[in-house]
Amino acid sequence: MHMHKFEKVWLIFGTVALLVFLTVLGVSAFYLGNQPPSCLVTIDPEKVEVTAPFNAPGLYEVTGKDWDYELVFVASAFSYSPAKVEIPKGSTVKVIATSKDVIHGFEIAGTNVNMMLEPGFVSEYTTRFNNEGENLIICNEYCGVGHHMMSSRIEVVSK
Amino acid sequence: MAVPKLKNKSQTKETSNLKGTLASVLILGIILIIVWVSIYFIFVNRLG
Repeated sequence: MHMHKFEKVWLIFGTVALLVFLTVLGVSAFYLGNQPPSCLVTIDPEKVEVTAPFNAPGLYEVTGKDWDYELVFVASAFSYSPAKVEIPKGSTVKVIATSKDVIHGFEIAGTNVNMMLEPGFVSEYTTRFNNEGENLIICNEYCGVGHHMMSSRIEVVSK
Repeated sequence: MAVPKLKNKSQTKETSNLKGTLASVLILGIILIIVWVSIYFIFVNRLG
């Protein structure tokens, strides 16, 4: 088959670029162990209020784990519980969240924490809060008429 | 005959100049790589 020389050039260029992108993705998933925030943990969405730990949303100190605190969030139309939380600066926090009704978003603006909260699934993300100040949590999945009012705050305070 | 003549014409077109096409493909490729790498670095910087 005859192929123009330039055609070979851009086919090789495209293939190599694709292989590099997929390798980075593969290393991230299988070597670094990154996974989607919602990964196989399920919950009955009608019993969120009586299921631990979602019966008492808030910040809890834990010991003997890779993270210092567990931050439990419940999203519902159109608010988060808790509405505001204080976290000591420099602590590693595992955010555990779910939704009571429809799909909500959970994004801590300006950070990598950005996940979907789906009814029936538990979403988790472990992160470290290094910068003092207020962080805004917003819903970035359209959830109804009050979607734009839906927010919460994380205040990072010095120990 | 008319048909072979047409064939010859299209064959000469196939070997036409592809420099512009190569340039556009590479420019598009480089833009994609720059955007991909920038977003990846934003992600890595926020991991801290």
